[in-house]
Amino acid sequence: MKTSGVFAFKGASLLALFLTSAISAIGFLWPFFVDEKQGNPQWIFLIATPFALLLLMVSVSNKELDSKSIALLAVLTALIAALRPMGTGAVGIEPMWFVLILSARVFGPSFGFLLGTLSMFLSAILTGGMGPWVAYQSFAAGWIGLGVALIPRGIRGKREIFILALYGIIAAEFFGIAMDLQFWPWALGADTQLSYLAGASISENLSRFFSYHFLSAMAWDIPRAIFTASLIAIAGAPILHTLRRAHTRAAFLTPIEFIEHVKVQKAAK
Amino acid sequence: MITFSNVSLIYPQSTKTILENLSFQIEEGEMVLVMGETGSGKSSLLRLINGLVPHHTGGILAGDISVDGISTRAVKPGSLAHLVGIVGQNPINGFVTDIVEEELAFSMEALNFPPDVMRKRVEEVLDLLSLSALRRRSIATLSGGEQQRVAIGAALVMHPKVLVLDEPTSALDPIAAEEVLSVLHRLVHDLSVTVIIAEHRLERVIQFVDRIIYIEGNGDTSIGTADEILKQSELVPPIVKLARALNLSEIGTSVREVRRQTDHIRNSEYSRPLSSPRSESTAIEISHVSHSYNEKSALSNVSAAINHGEIVAIMGRNGAGKSTLLHSIVGLHAPDSGEIKVNGFDPTLLKGAGRRRAIGYVPQEPSDLLFASSVEEECVLADRNNEITAGSTAALLNRLVPHISMHAHPNDLSEGQRLALVLSIVLSGNPEVLILDEPTRGLDYRAKNLFAIALKEYASQFNRPVLLATHDVELVAELADRVLFLAEGEIVADGTTLDVLLSSPAFAPQVAKVMSPKPWLTVTDVVHALEGSS
Repeated sequence: MKTSGVFAFKGASLLALFLTSAISAIGFLWPFFVDEKQGNPQWIFLIATPFALLLLMVSVSNKELDSKSIALLAVLTALIAALRPMGTGAVGIEPMWFVLILSARVFGPSFGFLLGTLSMFLSAILTGGMGPWVAYQSFAAGWIGLGVALIPRGIRGKREIFILALYGIIAAEFFGIAMDLQFWPWALGADTQLSYLAGASISENLSRFFSYHFLSAMAWDIPRAIFTASLIAIAGAPILHTLRRAHTRAAFLTPIEFIEHVKVQKAAK
Repeated sequence: MITFSNVSLIYPQSTKTILENLSFQIEEGEMVLVMGETGSGKSSLLRLINGLVPHHTGGILAGDISVDGISTRAVKPGSLAHLVGIVGQNPINGFVTDIVEEELAFSMEALNFPPDVMRKRVEEVLDLLSLSALRRRSIATLSGGEQQRVAIGAALVMHPKVLVLDEPTSALDPIAAEEVLSVLHRLVHDLSVTVIIAEHRLERVIQFVDRIIYIEGNGDTSIGTADEILKQSELVPPIVKLARALNLSEIGTSVREVRRQTDHIRNSEYSRPLSSPRSESTAIEISHVSHSYNEKSALSNVSAAINHGEIVAIMGRNGAGKSTLLHSIVGLHAPDSGEIKVNGFDPTLLKGAGRRRAIGYVPQEPSDLLFASSVEEECVLADRNNEITAGSTAALLNRLVPHISMHAHPNDLSEGQRLALVLSIVLSGNPEVLILDEPTRGLDYRAKNLFAIALKEYASQFNRPVLLATHDVELVAELADRVLFLAEGEIVADGTTLDVLLSSPAFAPQVAKVMSPKPWLTVTDVVHALEGSS
């Protein structure tokens, strides 16, 4: 018998994660595949993505979260959500990402996914920026937490910080692309060089999108990537240490043994 | 109600058994005290009762524990929530909401109680604990005793049959502590709630409890009535020490009992010992200091002078301005008006190493001074910062609290160990003035004794002043030369410890209450006086 572990997707909730992630991924990528001019696909996905998020949360919150994971999730979510508005006004200065990445590193990708989605959602409530885009942001942040799974678990020390900083750059850029992708079909009107062209070939739209993206990336994504990577490089080691200590103290998956008599135990040794 | 049979506990990654072969039964409506030295496993024992250990911590549990017939092996702590209410050491850490009423309703809300039941129970608890006047107050604005009562109330709304409290009075002034204990007393007698309480300040609780579980340092445990346990225990309140010193036939646990046995001693005449002359050179001068926070006055026109080599205790209710006065002396903030000089310097102007040498300060929350990741690192840092021989801080620490694990994280230490660590670090700087805010929270008698010796040595050896704010009257009686009594930000009494403590019934130490009207504060005083007359 063991104490309960950190939250991890498995079984039905893993399936739900895949399905809802797929729905929301299509929600991001539809401009490249849907060539119907009629039928307003953007509206369909704008509605489908929040529902996907809701579905996922319901499936997770049923019984798989135990009290320790909830407590940890709540504290870190509050922290990250509070960190996010700190950057408003300043271009790309978003201190939330490095905490999310480091937490996901320590507590695992499943936990990181939940942390990303929840903290995005909470910060939207805090800042009053509630709208359909929140679901897109939540999924994107969740995937960033989930993506920490790509980093091998065994690495420690300077190499770990280096790889995490690198991941921070990729994550910041990924978030930028995802947000642009979500916004792109709505932006710019229909008739500029960079606009989404319904029904055009994938390559045509891709080249239009990336031109649009790099135009906006200069202002937001590059500073965000630099800022996140530097924060990880500077504060990564002590924060990882603190989070790992919390992990140890929470005694996840520590064996529990019930025996009849301690004397028996000693004799067995 | 609670049965422990042959219980032993081993934590993960440890080979030491915390409790060994512990068997006892607690009946319904009993009030039981768990006592033992710092780090002896009192908190573990309390958490075993509702299954938090080992279900949340891991570890090996031998034997069986059952509460109201339910074995903690079989169920998770959540399934015992309706049966066992637990109140932690620091209630403010456990509060979830802001308002008293909401806090009381919170746990019922979590368990999906119907609204009409919740409403009724909240009202009941408000009445039971006399909280109705506070029902709409914000919890943060309540005093320590009131907060503790709210925490007890929040546990009581579930109608638990067992109430477990970890050091409920350690942060409270004597009056607030009395308030909390009388509430517990009432719960036991009127509602037959079983109460299990861990506490270091035996003098406060001993008269209320039916039985004591004593966990000794070597892991042995004994259980029995207060008289039985205290006869042979090393940890005893002053009143029992007095009974031992006077060779009384029976050990009483209340002032009344011991007073009855000591009539003959009070009725004889003794010569009053001459007080030793003190140096008259002023070290800390406080003149007409006033300070307020957002219109709320914390200190008003306080003047005092503290001499070299003097140990001065600052006493008063929670919120009387003790900490504010200390902060001003340390120089954490400049007072709104008035002036403070520490050895001739304005404390707000001191910086860096000069500050460390001028003023040693141990804050209310000692861990605020700790930032390294192990005890060893902290000690090494202190040695280096103060330019003293490597290992001297560690040596000092080892003298205060032996067997501290040098690799432990400072936050994993017990309250007492952490305080000792901070004190060693501060003392290693050999400061000109030593200032301590509530230093003995969570310390057992032995640690407190060592602590008092260390402070006395510091004061007499270097002829330097020590200033401490505390609620602990027994400590003040042992240690201090002089007492400043604060109320509402003003000094209402300033005099020798003897004069101030004897004149206030609430703040008088146990020995003084027993021996009143004789001017004795501690067992040593009594023994000296008796020796002098014979």
